[in-house]
Amino acid sequence: MISTITKLPTARRRIDETDLCGWIGQAAPGEALEYYRGFLALDTFSQAKRLTERERAELMRVARRAWWASEQKLIHLVQRRHGADDYSYLAIARAKPKYASASLSSLLLAEVA
Amino acid sequence: MQSSISQADLQTLLHEADIAARRLIRKLRLSKDDLADVRQDLLVDVIARLPAFDPKRGSLGAFAGIVMANRAARVAHKVKRERRLCGVAPTSLDEPVPDGDGAARGDLVAEGDGLSAYFGQPVDAFAEVERRLDVERGLGALDPDDARLSAALSQSNIDELVDRDHAARSSLYRRVKNIRLALLAAGLKAA
Repeated sequence: MISTITKLPTARRRIDETDLCGWIGQAAPGEALEYYRGFLALDTFSQAKRLTERERAELMRVARRAWWASEQKLIHLVQRRHGADDYSYLAIARAKPKYASASLSSLLLAEVA
Repeated sequence: MQSSISQADLQTLLHEADIAARRLIRKLRLSKDDLADVRQDLLVDVIARLPAFDPKRGSLGAFAGIVMANRAARVAHKVKRERRLCGVAPTSLDEPVPDGDGAARGDLVAEGDGLSAYFGQPVDAFAEVERRLDVERGLGALDPDDARLSAALSQSNIDELVDRDHAARSSLYRRVKNIRLALLAAGLKAA
Protein backbone atom coordinates (compact mmCIF):
# COMPACT_ATOMS: atom_id res chain seq x y z
CA MET A 1 0.00 0.00 0.00
CA ILE A 2 1.23 3.44 -0.86
CA SER A 3 1.53 5.54 2.25
CA THR A 4 2.50 8.86 0.72
CA ILE A 5 2.23 10.23 -2.77
CA THR A 6 4.39 13.14 -3.66
CA LYS A 7 2.13 15.73 -5.29
CA LEU A 8 3.32 18.17 -7.88
CA PRO A 9 4.01 21.65 -6.55
CA THR A 10 1.01 23.88 -7.18
CA ALA A 11 3.13 26.69 -8.59
CA ARG A 12 4.39 24.35 -11.28
CA ARG A 13 1.80 21.93 -12.51
CA ARG A 14 3.91 19.58 -14.57
CA ILE A 15 7.22 17.93 -14.02
CA ASP A 16 9.67 17.42 -16.83
CA GLU A 17 11.89 14.52 -17.76
CA THR A 18 14.78 15.73 -15.62
CA ASP A 19 12.56 16.15 -12.55
CA LEU A 20 11.25 12.64 -13.01
CA CYS A 21 14.74 11.14 -13.35
CA GLY A 22 15.94 13.16 -10.36
CA TRP A 23 13.08 11.84 -8.27
CA ILE A 24 13.70 8.25 -9.39
CA GLY A 25 17.37 8.59 -8.51
CA GLN A 26 16.73 9.61 -4.92
CA ALA A 27 13.42 7.92 -4.08
CA ALA A 28 13.32 5.20 -1.48
CA PRO A 29 11.51 1.98 -2.39
CA GLY A 30 7.75 2.43 -1.96
CA GLU A 31 7.73 6.19 -2.43
CA ALA A 32 5.28 7.36 -5.04
CA LEU A 33 5.16 10.35 -7.35
CA GLU A 34 2.17 11.61 -9.24
CA TYR A 35 3.93 12.51 -12.45
CA TYR A 36 0.78 13.44 -14.34
CA ARG A 37 -2.84 14.17 -13.64
CA GLY A 38 -5.25 14.03 -16.57
CA PHE A 39 -5.89 11.52 -19.29
CA LEU A 40 -2.56 10.52 -20.73
CA ALA A 41 -3.85 8.62 -23.75
CA LEU A 42 -5.88 11.57 -24.89
CA ASP A 43 -3.56 14.34 -23.76
CA THR A 44 -0.65 12.93 -25.75
CA PHE A 45 -2.77 12.58 -28.87
CA SER A 46 -1.98 15.49 -31.16
CA GLN A 47 -5.45 15.76 -32.66
CA ALA A 48 -7.10 16.02 -29.25
CA LYS A 49 -5.75 19.57 -28.76
CA ARG A 50 -6.14 19.33 -25.00
CA LEU A 51 -2.67 20.73 -24.45
CA THR A 52 -0.46 23.14 -26.32
CA GLU A 53 2.04 21.53 -28.67
CA ARG A 54 4.89 22.36 -26.32
CA GLU A 55 3.12 20.88 -23.29
CA ARG A 56 2.18 17.81 -25.28
CA ALA A 57 5.79 17.27 -26.41
CA GLU A 58 7.02 17.55 -22.83
CA LEU A 59 4.33 15.17 -21.62
CA MET A 60 5.35 12.67 -24.29
CA ARG A 61 8.94 12.87 -23.08
CA VAL A 62 7.91 12.38 -19.46
CA ALA A 63 5.63 9.48 -20.33
CA ARG A 64 8.32 7.81 -22.45
CA ARG A 65 10.89 8.30 -19.68
CA ALA A 66 8.50 6.82 -17.11
CA TRP A 67 7.99 3.82 -19.38
CA TRP A 68 11.76 3.50 -19.86
CA ALA A 69 12.30 3.62 -16.08
CA SER A 70 9.72 0.90 -15.54
CA GLU A 71 11.46 -1.21 -18.19
CA GLN A 72 14.70 -0.65 -16.30
CA LYS A 73 12.95 -1.98 -13.16
CA LEU A 74 13.41 1.33 -11.41
CA ILE A 75 9.72 2.09 -10.86
CA HIS A 76 6.26 0.59 -11.06
CA LEU A 77 3.71 2.49 -13.11
CA VAL A 78 0.17 2.59 -11.83
CA GLN A 79 -2.80 4.88 -12.23
CA ARG A 80 -5.64 5.94 -9.99
CA ARG A 81 -9.01 6.93 -11.40
CA HIS A 82 -10.65 10.06 -9.98
CA GLY A 83 -13.46 10.44 -12.46
CA ALA A 84 -14.19 10.49 -16.15
CA ASP A 85 -11.02 11.20 -18.12
CA ASP A 86 -9.28 12.10 -14.89
CA TYR A 87 -6.47 9.90 -13.65
CA SER A 88 -3.43 10.24 -11.47
CA TYR A 89 -0.44 8.59 -13.08
CA LEU A 90 1.84 7.32 -10.37
CA ALA A 91 5.41 6.16 -10.37
CA ILE A 92 6.30 3.99 -7.40
CA ALA A 93 9.98 3.59 -6.67
CA ARG A 94 11.38 0.09 -6.58
CA ALA A 95 14.51 -1.16 -4.88
CA LYS A 96 17.43 -0.22 -7.10
CA PRO A 97 18.31 -3.11 -9.39
CA LYS A 98 21.76 -4.58 -8.97
CA TYR A 99 23.32 -3.88 -12.33
CA ALA A 100 26.55 -5.58 -13.24
CA SER A 101 28.97 -2.72 -12.68
CA ALA A 102 31.07 -1.57 -15.57
CA SER A 103 34.72 -1.11 -14.74
CA LEU A 104 35.54 2.58 -14.96
CA SER A 105 39.25 1.82 -15.33
CA SER A 106 38.67 -0.59 -18.23
CA LEU A 107 36.50 1.93 -20.04
CA LEU A 108 38.99 4.74 -19.57
CA LEU A 109 41.91 2.54 -20.56
CA ALA A 110 40.06 1.37 -23.66
CA GLU A 111 39.39 4.99 -24.55
CA VAL A 112 43.03 6.00 -24.15
CA ALA A 113 44.18 2.98 -26.18
CA MET B 1 60.71 56.08 -22.29
CA GLN B 2 63.21 55.81 -19.52
CA SER B 3 65.80 53.06 -19.86
CA SER B 4 67.72 53.60 -16.62
CA ILE B 5 66.93 55.06 -13.25
CA SER B 6 69.10 57.55 -11.38
CA GLN B 7 69.91 57.30 -7.70
CA ALA B 8 67.77 60.36 -7.01
CA ASP B 9 64.83 58.86 -8.86
CA LEU B 10 65.24 55.63 -6.94
CA GLN B 11 65.17 57.56 -3.68
CA THR B 12 61.95 59.25 -4.86
CA LEU B 13 60.37 55.89 -5.61
CA LEU B 14 61.45 54.39 -2.28
CA HIS B 15 60.09 57.43 -0.48
CA GLU B 16 56.76 57.30 -2.31
CA ALA B 17 56.49 53.56 -1.71
CA ASP B 18 57.19 54.07 1.97
CA ILE B 19 54.50 56.73 2.32
CA ALA B 20 51.93 54.74 0.33
CA ALA B 21 52.65 51.53 2.24
CA ARG B 22 52.33 53.24 5.65
CA ARG B 23 49.09 54.87 4.58
CA LEU B 24 47.70 51.54 3.42
CA ILE B 25 48.79 49.69 6.55
CA ARG B 26 47.10 52.37 8.68
CA LYS B 27 43.94 52.37 6.59
CA LEU B 28 43.54 48.62 6.58
CA ARG B 29 44.78 48.23 10.15
CA LEU B 30 47.32 45.70 9.04
CA SER B 31 50.12 44.50 11.23
CA LYS B 32 53.41 46.42 11.09
CA ASP B 33 54.99 43.16 9.99
CA ASP B 34 53.13 43.58 6.71
CA LEU B 35 54.72 46.96 6.01
CA ALA B 36 57.77 45.58 4.22
CA ASP B 37 55.67 43.25 2.09
CA VAL B 38 53.23 45.97 1.05
CA ARG B 39 56.04 48.43 0.35
CA GLN B 40 57.78 45.89 -1.82
CA ASP B 41 54.55 45.09 -3.62
CA LEU B 42 53.99 48.75 -4.46
CA LEU B 43 57.58 49.26 -5.48
CA VAL B 44 57.69 46.27 -7.80
CA ASP B 45 54.53 47.49 -9.51
CA VAL B 46 55.85 50.99 -10.08
CA ILE B 47 59.19 49.68 -11.38
CA ALA B 48 57.37 47.40 -13.81
CA ARG B 49 55.46 50.40 -15.11
CA LEU B 50 58.43 52.77 -15.32
CA PRO B 51 58.83 52.30 -19.09
CA ALA B 52 55.49 54.10 -19.45
CA PHE B 53 56.75 57.14 -17.53
CA ASP B 54 56.92 60.26 -19.68
CA PRO B 55 58.80 63.15 -17.98
CA LYS B 56 57.02 65.64 -20.24
CA ARG B 57 53.70 64.79 -18.63
CA GLY B 58 54.76 65.20 -15.00
CA SER B 59 57.29 64.43 -12.32
CA LEU B 60 58.40 60.92 -11.40
CA GLY B 61 56.97 61.43 -7.92
CA ALA B 62 53.52 62.19 -9.33
CA PHE B 63 53.73 59.21 -11.68
CA ALA B 64 54.78 56.92 -8.84
CA GLY B 65 52.05 58.35 -6.61
CA ILE B 66 49.32 57.55 -9.14
CA VAL B 67 50.63 54.05 -9.87
CA MET B 68 50.95 53.25 -6.19
CA ALA B 69 47.52 54.64 -5.38
CA ASN B 70 46.05 52.28 -7.95
CA ARG B 71 48.09 49.37 -6.68
CA ALA B 72 47.15 50.20 -3.09
CA ALA B 73 43.47 50.14 -4.05
CA ARG B 74 43.95 46.67 -5.53
CA VAL B 75 45.82 45.47 -2.44
CA ALA B 76 43.04 46.87 -0.22
CA HIS B 77 40.45 45.08 -2.32
CA LYS B 78 42.39 41.82 -2.01
CA VAL B 79 42.76 42.20 1.77
CA LYS B 80 39.05 42.92 2.17
CA ARG B 81 38.17 39.90 0.06
CA GLU B 82 40.43 37.70 2.17
CA ARG B 83 38.84 39.08 5.31
CA ARG B 84 35.41 38.30 3.98
CA LEU B 85 36.62 34.77 3.29
CA CYS B 86 38.70 34.10 6.39
CA GLY B 87 37.46 36.59 8.99
CA VAL B 88 38.86 39.90 10.17
CA ALA B 89 41.88 38.48 11.92
CA PRO B 90 43.25 35.49 10.06
CA THR B 91 45.13 33.08 12.25
CA SER B 92 48.07 31.06 11.05
CA LEU B 93 47.54 27.32 10.91
CA ASP B 94 51.10 27.00 12.17
CA GLU B 95 50.31 28.96 15.32
CA PRO B 96 50.68 26.73 18.39
CA VAL B 97 47.52 26.07 20.35
CA PRO B 98 47.72 27.32 23.97
CA ASP B 99 48.21 24.32 26.27
CA GLY B 100 48.17 22.12 23.21
CA ASP B 101 51.36 20.19 23.91
CA GLY B 102 52.97 21.61 20.82
CA ALA B 103 50.00 21.05 18.52
CA ALA B 104 49.42 23.74 15.91
CA ARG B 105 45.99 25.11 14.99
CA GLY B 106 46.22 23.29 11.67
CA ASP B 107 46.35 19.97 13.52
CA LEU B 108 42.87 20.65 14.90
CA VAL B 109 41.25 21.34 11.54
CA ALA B 110 39.60 18.30 10.01
CA GLU B 111 40.33 17.63 6.37
CA GLY B 112 36.66 18.11 5.55
CA ASP B 113 36.83 21.66 6.97
CA GLY B 114 39.98 22.56 5.07
CA LEU B 115 40.53 24.80 2.10
CA SER B 116 40.43 21.90 -0.37
CA ALA B 117 36.96 20.94 0.80
CA TYR B 118 35.91 24.59 0.71
CA PHE B 119 36.82 24.72 -2.96
CA GLY B 120 35.02 21.48 -3.70
CA GLN B 121 37.96 19.12 -3.94
CA PRO B 122 37.31 15.61 -2.65
CA VAL B 123 38.92 15.02 0.72
CA ASP B 124 37.00 12.05 2.03
CA ALA B 125 38.70 8.90 0.77
CA PHE B 126 35.72 6.71 1.71
CA ALA B 127 33.31 9.02 -0.11
CA GLU B 128 35.62 8.90 -3.13
CA VAL B 129 35.55 5.10 -3.17
CA GLU B 130 31.76 5.13 -2.77
CA ARG B 131 31.43 7.65 -5.60
CA ARG B 132 33.55 5.50 -7.85
CA LEU B 133 31.40 2.47 -7.06
CA ASP B 134 28.29 4.56 -7.78
CA VAL B 135 29.75 5.69 -11.09
CA GLU B 136 30.60 2.11 -12.02
CA ARG B 137 27.08 1.01 -11.06
CA GLY B 138 25.65 3.89 -13.13
CA LEU B 139 27.83 2.96 -16.09
CA GLY B 140 26.57 -0.61 -15.75
CA ALA B 141 23.04 0.70 -16.26
CA LEU B 142 24.00 2.29 -19.56
CA ASP B 143 24.02 0.78 -22.97
CA PRO B 144 27.66 -0.34 -23.67
CA ASP B 145 27.92 2.18 -26.53
CA ASP B 146 26.76 4.95 -24.23
CA ALA B 147 29.23 3.83 -21.55
CA ARG B 148 31.99 4.06 -24.17
CA LEU B 149 30.78 7.51 -25.16
CA SER B 150 30.88 8.58 -21.51
CA ALA B 151 34.47 7.35 -21.26
CA ALA B 152 35.34 9.16 -24.49
CA LEU B 153 33.85 12.38 -23.13
CA SER B 154 36.18 12.21 -20.15
CA GLN B 155 39.07 12.66 -22.60
CA SER B 156 37.57 14.73 -25.41
CA ASN B 157 34.82 17.23 -25.99
CA ILE B 158 31.94 16.94 -28.44
CA ASP B 159 33.78 18.90 -31.15
CA GLU B 160 36.74 16.54 -31.00
CA LEU B 161 34.49 13.48 -31.14
CA VAL B 162 32.68 14.91 -34.16
CA ASP B 163 36.02 15.42 -35.93
CA ARG B 164 37.45 12.08 -34.87
CA ASP B 165 34.50 9.76 -35.39
CA HIS B 166 32.68 11.78 -38.07
CA ALA B 167 29.58 11.50 -35.91
CA ALA B 168 26.62 13.83 -36.19
CA ARG B 169 26.80 16.55 -33.56
CA SER B 170 23.04 16.50 -32.92
CA SER B 171 23.10 12.75 -32.45
CA LEU B 172 25.92 13.03 -29.91
CA TYR B 173 24.10 15.73 -27.97
CA ARG B 174 20.94 13.63 -27.97
CA ARG B 175 22.87 10.65 -26.63
CA VAL B 176 24.55 12.78 -23.98
CA LYS B 177 21.15 14.04 -22.85
CA ASN B 178 19.90 10.47 -22.59
CA ILE B 179 23.01 9.39 -20.70
CA ARG B 180 22.57 12.23 -18.22
CA LEU B 181 18.95 11.29 -17.61
CA ALA B 182 19.77 7.59 -17.27
CA LEU B 183 22.52 8.36 -14.76
CA LEU B 184 20.23 10.74 -12.90
CA ALA B 185 17.61 7.99 -12.63
CA ALA B 186 20.36 5.71 -11.33
CA GLY B 187 21.01 8.24 -8.56
CA LEU B 188 24.01 10.04 -10.06
CA LYS B 189 23.70 13.79 -10.31
CA ALA B 190 25.82 15.87 -12.62
CA ALA B 191 28.82 17.32 -10.79
